[in-house]
Amino acid sequence: MDFDLSDEQRALSRAARDYFTGAASPADSRRALDEGTPVAPGRRSLAETGFAAITVPEQSGGGGGSLLDLAVVAEQAGRVLAGPSMVTSARAAVLLAGDDARLASLADGSVGYAVLDGTAPVLDAATADRFLALRGDAVVCGAGTVTVGAPIDPTRGLGNVVLGELEQVACDARLRWERAERVGQVVLAAEGLGAAERAVEMGVAYAKQRQAFGRAIGSYQAVKHALVDAYVGVEQLRSLVWWAAWAADEAPDELPLAAAATKALSAQVLEQATETLIQVHGGIGFTWEHDAHLYWRRAKVDRLLLGDDIAAFDTVARLALALPQAVGSPEAVR
Amino acid sequence: MDFDDTPDESAWRERVRAYVTDHREDLGSYGNRTRRNGDLSSARAAQARLYDGGLVGVTWPKEAGGQGGTSMQQAIVDQELSRAGIPMLLGIIGIGMCGPTIIAHGSQDQQDRYLTRLLRGDELWCQLFSEPASGSDLAGLRTRAVRNDDGSWRLSGQKVWTTLAHVSDFGIVLTRTDPELAKHRGLTMFVIDMSAPGITVRPLRQMSGGAEFNEVFFDDVVVADSERLGDVNDGWRVALTTLMSERMSLGGGGTEIGIGVGAVLDHVARRLSDLPEDRQALVRQDFGRAYVASLGIRYTGYRQLSAVSKGQLPGPEASAGKLAGTKTARAAADLAVRLLGDEAVYARGADGTSTWQDDQASLPGMAIAGGTDEILRNILGERVLGLAPEPRADKGITFTQSLASSSGAS
Repeated sequence: MDFDLSDEQRALSRAARDYFTGAASPADSRRALDEGTPVAPGRRSLAETGFAAITVPEQSGGGGGSLLDLAVVAEQAGRVLAGPSMVTSARAAVLLAGDDARLASLADGSVGYAVLDGTAPVLDAATADRFLALRGDAVVCGAGTVTVGAPIDPTRGLGNVVLGELEQVACDARLRWERAERVGQVVLAAEGLGAAERAVEMGVAYAKQRQAFGRAIGSYQAVKHALVDAYVGVEQLRSLVWWAAWAADEAPDELPLAAAATKALSAQVLEQATETLIQVHGGIGFTWEHDAHLYWRRAKVDRLLLGDDIAAFDTVARLALALPQAVGSPEAVR
Repeated sequence: MDFDDTPDESAWRERVRAYVTDHREDLGSYGNRTRRNGDLSSARAAQARLYDGGLVGVTWPKEAGGQGGTSMQQAIVDQELSRAGIPMLLGIIGIGMCGPTIIAHGSQDQQDRYLTRLLRGDELWCQLFSEPASGSDLAGLRTRAVRNDDGSWRLSGQKVWTTLAHVSDFGIVLTRTDPELAKHRGLTMFVIDMSAPGITVRPLRQMSGGAEFNEVFFDDVVVADSERLGDVNDGWRVALTTLMSERMSLGGGGTEIGIGVGAVLDHVARRLSDLPEDRQALVRQDFGRAYVASLGIRYTGYRQLSAVSKGQLPGPEASAGKLAGTKTARAAADLAVRLLGDEAVYARGADGTSTWQDDQASLPGMAIAGGTDEILRNILGERVLGLAPEPRADKGITFTQSLASSSGAS
């Protein structure tokens, strides 16, 4: 057993950290809320780095990498609340398998794809030109009309989509659809991991610096223990993100359980970390100017994407207990 | 990254599994309340059986009676024993805490005399650390060791919460040898023969109904200087060896606390369909949460094992395993008891079993023993996150002065 990233993956993580630190920040999220500016770094910049297309095959202009490679990068994207989400590109890469032309447009960023889950609001719809959906057992693609709702987290680009004319991408593709959804859950959790770890870092840094009653507030157990609980959650989430991303390529039988468990834990851990972040900061943490609420916004929205955490816990229980899956879950017929 | 056994690991696993299968009847099972309290002979025999198969003390050096194996091999043994539903070894305190301390700090003579018999369960060991006035604040202990003219030591004082003291042959005891030093500085550790004159052991009944732990009184108990572990007044450093080993043996490497999620799963699977549908949904939520938490603990343990197998020392991060494991085990046990339906209010079911009730009643102790949840959070907060410690009122003064100031304040 060797449950660790490779040296190449660590190098990839550092490169992604460098890029995202320069290309996006929570300030972009705040500006998007204030002024409706587009998300950063944006699709084209992401395409130039090749990060968004890591899992697209090389012959279609992608990186030909593993989902674990992508997860390592998505974690870094999550740290700075980058958008559009790597969830969308990772999912589209699975759905468009074999369609070299569309994959190439995904990889070079010339077309923005988004993926519909039934009638639910669509991640990254705001910046998408083409929409992927399941019709019967076929994956279809086409234009759509987007109505963007009032955002809690503006970096998610959520909107309701009415589809226009559709072309078939793949028939008899239910298994592909399910795999894409699970891949999306894993990447969502990887972004959640990055956001949660950043939230803990910010909370710890402030607890070291802020003084009350003559000493650093991080010395008080009430503050310290809250941060520790958030930290323990982050480390457990990291373990599940790595496992689930690895399973997607190396142990597909484990992916359904791993993806649901990771999605569920991510929702829990990110909420805990961001609520702790606000609480540790006190009044300043509740201001518009502080970054804390931008991470909290991410938590409050992400927990509901790709099925909510309640559904994910239910899926875990059903899979572990070998029960039939619930109607409406990723595992059930839609 | 991979989760497969290497060829060596796979061969080891096969060997372990075959041995466990061949001797399954001798190795005991859960739900057997008498295991620690009453008849110890079968539990001793189980440990001896495993030792004879090379499955106890896997990571210990060969000259200490162990196998000279790797942490990964030990983890495989733990996995296989857990898979077969075999309860924790009777001598776990000796194996997990006393033994490693003797290996690190004991004389050759002590190692030769004690270690193999400890591993085999021929002799049981206990750890005499906590006192009525010092639990989490271990370095505040008061049991005195005073040197006699002939170089031997005379111990007087009281220890408490000493698991298995009532059946132990030996113990390691932390004492104060110089109260005029700061509290961490004046401590010394000894090996003690529990049958020595002047030792009185009184079992304490636990909230779970069992009586596995004890209070132990020392009235002028004489200990030879050759039984000292480490230097005089260097006992705190020696104790840290013990505590670090304890942390790894409780929840380190992803080992499960309590009965384990696999057994909970079987239990839920058996009971779920008897419930009304709305209840089933709630139980699935509860179980899903416990199961996800257990996966987080398991895979975090795998990360630690991978790091240790690459030569890293287990760090303070290992405390997170016990912290999270205890919380998860408690949630799982509460769910498991609830699923007993009308029988959930009784200590024992109509069929005479009390597996889940016992688990439920024992787990509050896990949040206290081996570092309370609060102490573990302090360790993680201070040593991993780098947060400042709480100010200490007894810093920079001698132990005697700290006693005087605390009694003055009260």
